[in-house]
Amino acid sequence: MTIEPRAFLTLDTGAATIAAALIGRVDGRWRLVGSISMPAGADVDAVVGVMGDRAVAADPALAAALDLRRGGSVDLPRLEGTSHPPRQMAVLAASERAIDPLVATASRSGWHTVSGSMEATDPLAMSELLLRAGVSAVLVGAGAPPAADERRLLGELAALVAAVAARRPDLTIVLAGGMTDLLHAFGDLARRPGEVVFAPAAQRDLPGGPLADLLIELALPPDDAHRALGSGAMALAEVLDRRVDVVEIGFDAGTRAGALPGVGGGPPSVDLAVVPTAALAPADPDDSVVDRVGRWSTWGADRHRLRDRLRELRIAPWADAAGEGATLRMAAARAALERLDEWTPEWADRPPADLVVATGGVWAVAPAPTIALALVDVLRRPGVGQFALDHARILAPLGSIPDSDERRAMVADLVDDLLAPLGTFVTPAGMRDGRSAGSVVVRGPFGETRLDMMPGGLALVDLPPGAAAVAEFRFRDTVQLGGRGRHFAIDVTGGLGGLVVDLRHVPLRLPDRADLRGELLDAWQTSLVRSPVG
Amino acid sequence: MNADDVRLVPARRLVVAPVDAAFELSPGDRPMVSAGDSVVVGAPIAERLRDPRFDETEVPAAADPHPGGRWAGQSRRGQERGAGGELIYEWHGRWRVATGDVADVVESPFAGIVRHVRPGTAITIRAAGRGIRGIVALGGPTRGRLQLGTDSELRSGGLDVGSAGTILVVGSRVDAETLTRARAMGVCGVVVAGLSSKERRDFLASEARQRAALHRLPPFAVLVLDGALRRPLAGAVQAVIGALAGREVAIVTDPPMLVFDMPNLVIPPPPVDFVRIRGGSLAGREGTFVRAIGPRRFTGGAHLEAGIVHLPDGTDAAVPLGDLERFV
Repeated sequence: MTIEPRAFLTLDTGAATIAAALIGRVDGRWRLVGSISMPAGADVDAVVGVMGDRAVAADPALAAALDLRRGGSVDLPRLEGTSHPPRQMAVLAASERAIDPLVATASRSGWHTVSGSMEATDPLAMSELLLRAGVSAVLVGAGAPPAADERRLLGELAALVAAVAARRPDLTIVLAGGMTDLLHAFGDLARRPGEVVFAPAAQRDLPGGPLADLLIELALPPDDAHRALGSGAMALAEVLDRRVDVVEIGFDAGTRAGALPGVGGGPPSVDLAVVPTAALAPADPDDSVVDRVGRWSTWGADRHRLRDRLRELRIAPWADAAGEGATLRMAAARAALERLDEWTPEWADRPPADLVVATGGVWAVAPAPTIALALVDVLRRPGVGQFALDHARILAPLGSIPDSDERRAMVADLVDDLLAPLGTFVTPAGMRDGRSAGSVVVRGPFGETRLDMMPGGLALVDLPPGAAAVAEFRFRDTVQLGGRGRHFAIDVTGGLGGLVVDLRHVPLRLPDRADLRGELLDAWQTSLVRSPVG
Repeated sequence: MNADDVRLVPARRLVVAPVDAAFELSPGDRPMVSAGDSVVVGAPIAERLRDPRFDETEVPAAADPHPGGRWAGQSRRGQERGAGGELIYEWHGRWRVATGDVADVVESPFAGIVRHVRPGTAITIRAAGRGIRGIVALGGPTRGRLQLGTDSELRSGGLDVGSAGTILVVGSRVDAETLTRARAMGVCGVVVAGLSSKERRDFLASEARQRAALHRLPPFAVLVLDGALRRPLAGAVQAVIGALAGREVAIVTDPPMLVFDMPNLVIPPPPVDFVRIRGGSLAGREGTFVRAIGPRRFTGGAHLEAGIVHLPDGTDAAVPLGDLERFV
């Protein structure tokens, strides 16, 4: 006889954070009973035990209904997602012109990349690059058909890669575009343990697509949490029937999943990008990384001190999480979001998502308005967007459920629990500086709130989670807010950060002087945590 | 104390065994050992080319040329043999050979057994002994007698020639000038808790300049045990290092580690509830973990899971669990 469990655990184990959640069957549906996040390196059973015991202590009646007793949570079934550290791929091409789209595609597909072209790199250096112990795959590509500047060098490139493939039979070789014609250079593939894979050519200015999908398949094992976020986002889009973007800033990579519900009976779709260079704190932060973090920092540290702190953040990501450490984390998170945005340019050509869900360990200890502000500072689009937080980190474990119907049913049960609403941001673009842009009236369950809109700042309306309202905007000039116009009536919902009318520039303009920049960032931050209007 | 509570504190291994250390090779470098070989301390394991280059040559089929194979070069009339090296790939009937004029010998800094030899990539040797893991090691593999230095920051003026041939433990922090002077005075290596990014960059630049010179440099390495900020060495690590003082140890870079071969050295595990504070205002202090107290509000409004730590001065402190570490 099989007894169906009344409770189970989800575990999202990453390189920096262990996130556990307790899911229980309550009144015929699955509900989130409790959750906890701890630094990686802690004992997983101890973490689960503490969470279970807290749930038992908080509501003994519910615990009894779930057949949960003190110390018993460690025996519950587990649904696990694990973030695997990205591996390294050598990306090679005949010409410099051909290498850029290949690097752009591989770098957003779960791989750390090193690259070289026959045109610009010494063959000895290319051999050294391919033989490095850390390199576990090679992407060698050409146009389809190869361009004139590639053709004369392709033969030697194939000979070089084939020689390394013979020496390192474990190496995965991906031949893209015109390189597939040179398969004969690789000899008898049947005797080779490492795969040799045919792939379509990379597309210039479009780093997503079939090649990216293939590279993600090769990069991440099926149970990987980054990959499961894609499936989780798709289930969420189906359940909510809305365009959903999931944005994760993790210890080893940043992930972006854009999901669309099925339209007209068609299947839902998802585009997934996993960008290792968008990790919170890269292992060896170069000047560009440090300067970017410095640009978002209100701390005023010089480059060397900032680099030291970023190295410490890499070594012990949960240490120093209070005070200045919290500020540094949010600056590093914004810088990582910027890198994620840059490696996924195709997102800019899509309609803005209805809901943006933040996930990842970096947000675990940040206040809700701060998280929403960090997202909207970087991922700026004119329009109206709702922001939410996967606060219990259960989206990736749910995404790892292999059966899509079962996954969707589970997400449907848990949708109210898994998302903590951060708030709604209304971001108009095209206002004139130096004078009032108009006014907004918010009519909600708690009455009416009227605001004058001064460009350059943030206006906060207190709208609690779950509350719905209508915001009626009257601008003096034509602005862009989804469409172009002067009068808009928008349905908005509340959140932990309320309703925020973001009257700053799109994209954001920050002063060059560090002290002025710090003051401005501080002022924006403060305006969201002080008492709101309404 | 609840025994489960302390398991919430991130654990760090005090001593690691076995130790598999990799010695990086580049195309053209010549391994001098094979898998399964037993090596002693100081045994040559590879020849590393100082300025490798590619030569093109015809190799007769009778020589069974293949990628990764060695080519000794053909005798020329009235001359020594031609340029030899590592065969890399064949193109239009001619082989590209990685070769060079000057090679340095790489010696094994510890005794062990060769596990893998991959020409052009690395030699992996399993050390006879155990290791203390660091964050990063700069320089190359080295060995020497372990000498305890100052507990705080070592200045260049504090070095003397009596330290030649040693691996010096210098405490909380060191600057690039001291490292450069230590190398010049014959010190074989330095073990330090923290090395800032600026000192790291300056030291690496100095190393690069010296390596560009023609003469061979003696092996030297800097092993950083904790991070980039100033903090004292952990008490548990200090205890092991204290027991190793005066003994031959090695520093390897991949993984960054201090390796020692003292089978009779008994290292008692630290008390289960012994924790070290590695971040926050109490960074560097150590104490006894009392219990977990759940989420607490800390500076800046951050809500963090915390625990009570009893400090040696008799006080108790609530510390975020993320700021703690324990040794196992």
